[in-house]
Amino acid sequence: MNTAQAGTLESMDCLVTVSEAAQGAGVKIQIAGSSAARFKSAMEKKAAEVIASMGVKDIDISIQDNGALDIVLGARVEAAVKRLIGGER
Amino acid sequence: MAKNALGREIPEFIEGYGKTKLFQGAFALKPEGYRAGGKIRCVNNTCTDKRVSGIKAAIAASGLKSGMTVSFHHHLRNGDFVVNMVIDACAEMGIKNLTLFPTALFGVHKKLIEHIKSGVITRIMGSVNGPIGQLVSEGGMDVPVVLRSHGGRPRAVASGDVHIDVAFIAAPTADKYGNICGTQGKSACGSLGYAFTDAQFADCVVAVTDNLQPYPAAPVSISQLNVDIVVEVPSIGDPAGIVSGTTKVTRDPLRLLIAKYASELIEASPYFKEGISFQTGAGGIPLAVTAFMKEAMIKRGIKGSFGLGGITGYFVELLKEGLVERLMDVQSFDLEAVRSIGENPKHIEISADWYANPWNSGAAVNMLDVVILGATEVDVNFNANVNTEAEGALLHGTGGHQDTAAGAKLTIIAQPLLRGRIPCVTDNVYSVTTPGEVVDAIITEYGITINPKRKDLLDACSAVKGLPLVSMDELVSRAHKMSGPTDPVATEDRIIGVVEWRDGTVIDVVHQLKKK
Repeated sequence: MNTAQAGTLESMDCLVTVSEAAQGAGVKIQIAGSSAARFKSAMEKKAAEVIASMGVKDIDISIQDNGALDIVLGARVEAAVKRLIGGER
Repeated sequence: MAKNALGREIPEFIEGYGKTKLFQGAFALKPEGYRAGGKIRCVNNTCTDKRVSGIKAAIAASGLKSGMTVSFHHHLRNGDFVVNMVIDACAEMGIKNLTLFPTALFGVHKKLIEHIKSGVITRIMGSVNGPIGQLVSEGGMDVPVVLRSHGGRPRAVASGDVHIDVAFIAAPTADKYGNICGTQGKSACGSLGYAFTDAQFADCVVAVTDNLQPYPAAPVSISQLNVDIVVEVPSIGDPAGIVSGTTKVTRDPLRLLIAKYASELIEASPYFKEGISFQTGAGGIPLAVTAFMKEAMIKRGIKGSFGLGGITGYFVELLKEGLVERLMDVQSFDLEAVRSIGENPKHIEISADWYANPWNSGAAVNMLDVVILGATEVDVNFNANVNTEAEGALLHGTGGHQDTAAGAKLTIIAQPLLRGRIPCVTDNVYSVTTPGEVVDAIITEYGITINPKRKDLLDACSAVKGLPLVSMDELVSRAHKMSGPTDPVATEDRIIGVVEWRDGTVIDVVHQLKKK
């Protein structure tokens, strides 16, 4: 299975790991880490938006957060997905 | 269910706490009646040596039984051996159902969890940190924890809200007749400030020492008048955990900027004049404020009267250089402070009662001009929370937050706007520790936010060119914009923590966290 990562576990950053999913499996998002307790909804929304804007339909995303703001989270998700699908587009 | 003066819902009766008194305002409640007293003792010349052999013999001699209240002080901080030693021994002796009444607990006390689970300790009145806080927050104790400030605790004891059966005092030096001091010995911790009230009011006082000196030991902090039993043990603590090395000023540019703004506010205030008194604690930002203030004091040629509270090497330096006349020390944080309080008569040991009790003939906080505090969050009404973290867990004690805020003429909370993604300025704090009526200004990296009720301060700051003033509305909307919307904390109905205001009224309650 292909996976790719972006980000770090530094304060106010996050580590995003994305893996290929079978066609029709949809977008699965897992969130853990320091802001998860109070910002899970906002983080899920942001990650889903980025995925949708990139036209990806089936993917597993795991976010290990250490206090990233949305703007950072979005950039890390985008970078991880680009690394995963890299050569194809 | 009734609402207190801050609109917080407080039940009239809380299981395991009792009938509640509603918070009515910072200075609203006026006490009546007389102080409580401890047991009368009589020791004739048949007793000239109070020593017993071993901690279990001391516990037995103290008359400690199941269901009683035991107290401890926290000057040995994360190096403390005494709390664990005593409770372990109680467990082995089959003593159960104890109320633990510490002035604070530290990480080293996580060992108490096994004694909470086995029923040796069934109630805690005092701060719960780290793993014990997490356990309590998840419903690990049947009785709610009661949180009191450093001044609220001696008030509760002296007014009879809490009766101490046995006080165990970690004594870096003691003699066989119970004269104690904290400045000498291999486990020296400096001030024994928090232990004084316990020594005065407990039915029985046990001194636990690892440095027994010939009678009479001197200097004396707590004297033979109040000490019933002396027990010698190999070690009362680990020096590495008792005192830190030299506390350092932050080097983080963001925090330095916040400290600089705080110092500019102080300089602009009417309190920055000859004889200024202040408390800054040991945190990174407050220490940096002290450093900036020192520069300003030298530049403007003014000298301070005293520094108060937990004392660091930084304050000792101010004393040595004559920039403050006295230090009033309830807790000596580092080696320099421990050394200084032992040598310098201008560095005074004060009790928690003297420091902060609202119900005596005048606590030191009343004489305070400026205090710099932190908080986990502050809301639009300037209410501050220091007890719970973003996830809703009870993780910090109140310390002197309430007392200094109520006493000082200028109370400043200095904090970055965000910690990680979590905003420190919100619409409504999760739980209140200190009411906004006694908080005068919030300092963040975006500038100085002054409580609108302090129009005098606003005017003083507006008169100074270039001071970055930010309104509370602007600050909170900035925090919202950066952090995004928060999910609510999922809680049960059950109350696991009662936060008392320093006068014993309930300012807020903390609910059990829902299982994830």
